[in-house]
Amino acid sequence: MERKTFLKNSALLAAGLFIDNKLSAMPTLAAPLKVGIVGCGDRGTGIMHIINGMTDMFQITAVCDVLDFRLAAAQKLGKSASLKAYTDYRKLLDDKEVDTVIVAVPLHMHYPVAAAVINSGRHLYLEKTMTYTIDQALDLVKLMHNRNTQVLQVGHQYRYSPLYYRVKEMINKGYLGKITQIDCRWDRNGSWRRPVPDSSLERVINWRMYKEYSGGLVAELLSHQIDFINWVFDTHPQEFFATGGIDYFKDGRETYDNVQVMLRYPELGMIGNFGATCGNAHDGYLFKIKGTLGTVSLLTDQGIFYPEKKLLDEKGTVDGVTGATRIVWNKGGGTPILPEPTRDGTWYAFKDFYTKVQNRQLPDSNVFTGARTAISVHLANQALYSNKITAWDKSYKIDSK
Amino acid sequence: MKKRLLPAICVALILLYAFTRRQPLQRFHLNGYAQGTTYSIVYYAADSLISLKQTDSLLQRFDESVSLYLPGSLICKFNRSVKGIRVDQHFQRLVREAIKIHRETDGLVDPTVKPLVDAWGFGAIKASHTPDSNEVKKLVKNVGLKYISLKGNFLYKTRPNIQLDLNGIAQGYAVDLLANLLERQHIKSYLIELGGELRIKGTKPGNQPFTVGIEGISGFDAEPMRKVIEPPDGAITTSGNYRKQHEAGGKPISHLMNPLTGYPVNNEMISITVYAQDAVTADGFDNGFMAMGLKRTLAYLAKHKNMGAYIVYRKADGSIKDTTTMSFKSKRPI
Repeated sequence: MERKTFLKNSALLAAGLFIDNKLSAMPTLAAPLKVGIVGCGDRGTGIMHIINGMTDMFQITAVCDVLDFRLAAAQKLGKSASLKAYTDYRKLLDDKEVDTVIVAVPLHMHYPVAAAVINSGRHLYLEKTMTYTIDQALDLVKLMHNRNTQVLQVGHQYRYSPLYYRVKEMINKGYLGKITQIDCRWDRNGSWRRPVPDSSLERVINWRMYKEYSGGLVAELLSHQIDFINWVFDTHPQEFFATGGIDYFKDGRETYDNVQVMLRYPELGMIGNFGATCGNAHDGYLFKIKGTLGTVSLLTDQGIFYPEKKLLDEKGTVDGVTGATRIVWNKGGGTPILPEPTRDGTWYAFKDFYTKVQNRQLPDSNVFTGARTAISVHLANQALYSNKITAWDKSYKIDSK
Repeated sequence: MKKRLLPAICVALILLYAFTRRQPLQRFHLNGYAQGTTYSIVYYAADSLISLKQTDSLLQRFDESVSLYLPGSLICKFNRSVKGIRVDQHFQRLVREAIKIHRETDGLVDPTVKPLVDAWGFGAIKASHTPDSNEVKKLVKNVGLKYISLKGNFLYKTRPNIQLDLNGIAQGYAVDLLANLLERQHIKSYLIELGGELRIKGTKPGNQPFTVGIEGISGFDAEPMRKVIEPPDGAITTSGNYRKQHEAGGKPISHLMNPLTGYPVNNEMISITVYAQDAVTADGFDNGFMAMGLKRTLAYLAKHKNMGAYIVYRKADGSIKDTTTMSFKSKRPI
């Protein structure tokens, strides 16, 4: 499934080269999607800010949140005065003006809200991780069966970033050689808490701290990189090893503030190390993919390729190289993967979401890939919180591949 | 008397022998940074004859003429001027070369293309949006060699909006300047590379030819060489769409402009590696060939046997092909 999508995209890219010169003179054919936002926390309002700048594609018509002060703040972000506000997502789904729903609620609510949106026949942009449990992931796959004209995109946005796309291409073409290790971190020196105006709202606002609502650091942060590896290699981990604890912020939280997950991809001969701590910010975001010919080191918006000595030696056997003017190797001996930093990943993801809705196509981050990543995250968390090695169960029925 | 002369003759002979005997050639390698890219000079000589200081200052002086990235350069002064300015020897030579290549390519190489380069987002200052058809129409009106003229050392423009961009030719010229520097030191064996443009002369010791790798078209530094050639004395330059492009409306846009239409070049050409006697010619033509497309380029080169090319292009079915117009002595790809 994933590979097919990739091939299709490459073909489109290639076809694009032959399209007539009048690149920008093309008018937008379709009207903007009428969007309802369910969940107006940091992520929901972050998305609103971005799609507010994409007026030819999206028009926000309704917002929904269980917290009044968030709802009021979100209403102010609306471009039109008539932005409707709901505290119950089911009421928003009764609103005939809404044809597309963006869901950015706490993880435990992903499934019920998503299922209701799907059943209402609307297009859905569902934040990652797709679902809170494995069963819910498999249920959503079933629920989307035969809904070929309805688009469900999951918010693993690296699949839309030109930078990460380029890295996928590099890896698939074998330019990194045989990849054995992936190192990934998403660290901070801070509690990962949001300010709470009233202590009764602690669990609603800081839902990430509680197992009842959240998959913790693995689901909220590391799932991005786990999904990227699934996508690049058209795979998922088979074995899950993990350790962690509440090691610094002993503040009543239940989800760990210090985690390390090791994933094994036996058919690829590859190990993925995914870690996050709330007690050190030096590395911050780190994502390294290590092959026999070189390393790719990624931030969210820029990346550097570092060749292995072996590769440089091979290049050194010629006296000179001719090519389109090359970008200079930086002081660390690396070369940028793209000449300039990319935009915020959300922008690319929503741009593609719009296209996929217009053409009724399966997004690159879809219910099948979303399920695979949600299951990966959940198995990692099982390993983490139950202190045992977990494994992918062949009976998970995701697609007909 | 004769007895005294003999030792003197012997000494003279020995000295003569010592000075005329060929000293073994050594390999010298200079690596520098200029024009936003790297350069490298490899030469073989009995002793070190060129210093990095010399080459750096030579290239810096040249940048003061035609670099669009130096606000005080002659080219920036010309672009800001209303009627034109006095220009130096380098500048004059480049303008004359550009005019020559402009004619040869039926106007597809045009140094007055700068407003288009800027508008399509490839200038020193990034454009905020992709131009629409009306904007392109307006911009094209300020592109054309007929609006400039060189009289003595004064470069005139007839419209204040006319702006020059000599980047398509300047790198090649800079390589020629470095070659001239080496020639003045009677260096007979060298390979100069600046930003992927090369000048080559002679062979390595043991009559070993210089080998030149032609970069793959993915734009990844990790990609193996597409081809390895052993060119004769002269210059090798490459123009390609694969490193510098960006997207608009989901489609890749080339950094090469068609000065006649005002739109970025969009045809089957992916890259062209050109051989010519000097680098200013090879570099000047390579962008023109990209705009001319495969058929016209092959027809042109069939009539101009002193130049040659290796072309990578995309067929209508999307597959990638290559073709060569001259028999580059070629090694198997690494």
